[in-house]
Amino acid sequence: MTVSPVLSATQNLFIPQKLQYAYFPGCVAQGACRELDQSTKALTRALGIDLIELKKASCCGSGTFKEDSQLLEDAVNARNIALAEQLGLPLLTHCSTCQGVIGHVDERLKTAKTENPAYFDQVNGFLTQQSCSPYQGSTDVKHILWALVGDYGLEAIAAKVTKKLSGLRCAAFYGCYLLRSQTNGFDDPVNPQSMENIFKTVGADVVMYDGRTQCCGWPLSSYASDQSFTMAGGHLQSALAAGADCIVTPCPLCHMQLDSRQSEIEKVIGQPLGLPILHLPQLVALALGVSPKELGLDRHLVSTRSVLEKIGL
Amino acid sequence: MQVQFQILRQHPGESPRIEHYVVETEPGNSILDCLNQIKWSQDGSLTYRRNCRNMICGSCAMRINGRSTLACKENVGQEVARFCPDLKPGELPTLTIAPLNNLPVLKDLVVDMKPFWGKLDAVQPYISSAARQVPEREFLQTPEERSRLNQVGNCIMCGACYSECNAATVNSDFVGPHALAKAYRMVADNRDGETESRLEKYNEGTDGVWGCTRCGQCNSVCPTEVFPLDQISKVKGEILARVDDQKSRAVRHRKQLIELVKESGWIDERKFGVNVVGNKGRDLAGMASLAPLGWRMLTKGKFPMGFEASEGASEVRSLIEAVQDSQK
Repeated sequence: MTVSPVLSATQNLFIPQKLQYAYFPGCVAQGACRELDQSTKALTRALGIDLIELKKASCCGSGTFKEDSQLLEDAVNARNIALAEQLGLPLLTHCSTCQGVIGHVDERLKTAKTENPAYFDQVNGFLTQQSCSPYQGSTDVKHILWALVGDYGLEAIAAKVTKKLSGLRCAAFYGCYLLRSQTNGFDDPVNPQSMENIFKTVGADVVMYDGRTQCCGWPLSSYASDQSFTMAGGHLQSALAAGADCIVTPCPLCHMQLDSRQSEIEKVIGQPLGLPILHLPQLVALALGVSPKELGLDRHLVSTRSVLEKIGL
Repeated sequence: MQVQFQILRQHPGESPRIEHYVVETEPGNSILDCLNQIKWSQDGSLTYRRNCRNMICGSCAMRINGRSTLACKENVGQEVARFCPDLKPGELPTLTIAPLNNLPVLKDLVVDMKPFWGKLDAVQPYISSAARQVPEREFLQTPEERSRLNQVGNCIMCGACYSECNAATVNSDFVGPHALAKAYRMVADNRDGETESRLEKYNEGTDGVWGCTRCGQCNSVCPTEVFPLDQISKVKGEILARVDDQKSRAVRHRKQLIELVKESGWIDERKFGVNVVGNKGRDLAGMASLAPLGWRMLTKGKFPMGFEASEGASEVRSLIEAVQDSQK
């Protein structure tokens, strides 16, 4: 179980007791954004957080299972959550979409347990028929952003910062599912602050702009790419206009769209952009002194050199 | 309490301007009460729609502190607590008011709703006339059949969802969440005889359900908990149950995602691109469109050279198949 940071008796610092999570890697961090998996592992190592990877977990469906049926989304993700429950640990995501989908399933099934037991039993019936552990509703589903702010604590992170990111102007891009999927999410969906609070904690400057709570357009990119890239382009332009040196996102799908597709976005909107896109764990780990190479910052499609130069690396 | 209102005002053909008004009010009063107070005692030219002041008519939808909602629903005290948490001593709390997005402004907070109604009309929001020709008594529904329409029936067509819709901003042909929620209401109504032709229509291009980018804004702002995105998902589900993955790339995207999860637990993104965009090699233009991205990823060392299936892949496959079999 997680415990909150406590004031150490021997040191005048907030030192969190050992935090442990069941790590849900998700598809993208094992594929087109492996630098995210690397960065999450490097960051948690640096902070002294233990991750136990859920090797038997599966894709959350990224909102697509629900279009087939809610039962499919619930059954597959009840199985994912039950894997964490078996370890007695909260499930940790590092993708806005995985968080929104699995977190919402968790909310729905916890409610169903008391208010719609027939549905709860139906979902668990499928799990037990396939020899999976049943879902109990005994744990929590947390994005690493929420774990950093809520469990580890900003003061404890600040105490670990060895390389302040002074002068780096960071614009957040939250991702739809992190803000709007769950009924009881961590942040205010209209005016979220957790990313900006992290920026301040690592010594960076906060850039506010209209696009930070909007959609990157990724779900449309495979079949309506002009619409999808127009959507993304508007947000990138707005972040640049507000003076951003980089966008930082807690969602690898947003990262794929905003970084890997940025040259296609530039063509659609007819304007060069060149705005580096960082994964949240990369930004925090840089401030803890982890090397850019270890965080895969050399493997982005939009060069991150300008960011590293700005912070003197 | 004293509250400052920062209101975006606009005359036709002119640039928008911001005006400030300070109002003496009570925390329990609505934003609409405050706008009335401004109009009646400070500036009679301030223009907005209002009617029932009780969340029934949907007239007073506008953007309040960055999201679309009803002025009669939100109360001043809660808005100040939520959006002005860090006031310095002596600083007035400031609430921002603007017209709905995605619709042209007529004056101040009044937008032209014609495109909104036109798009609602495009989904044929009436029970088909064939089914209306009931010869004798009324058309009976069981309470269970009727209950399927309750949630969408709560829609008051205020326009809050349409205003926040990210897809509508970039695709002027997308009919929008209000229309597609109504579309589900038609599909779910057992008195309607046009289900199949409706689903074909809602499946077309990106005017209908596939234009939705699942940003979730509609679910988030709907003042009457219609949850339009959830209704759009249900329409998609009805379509997906009827068509195969050669119908369109949007359909293939959904079908292939499930197939790849059944295959390996996790999605092999290389296969996802080839199967969805390239239609497994059948769509040559699609295949060609993947090449530049693949090449850029290769040169940066980002292209996933390997793929590891989940250790629980066979368990997940049988679970998905069991759920799918139960729904046949």
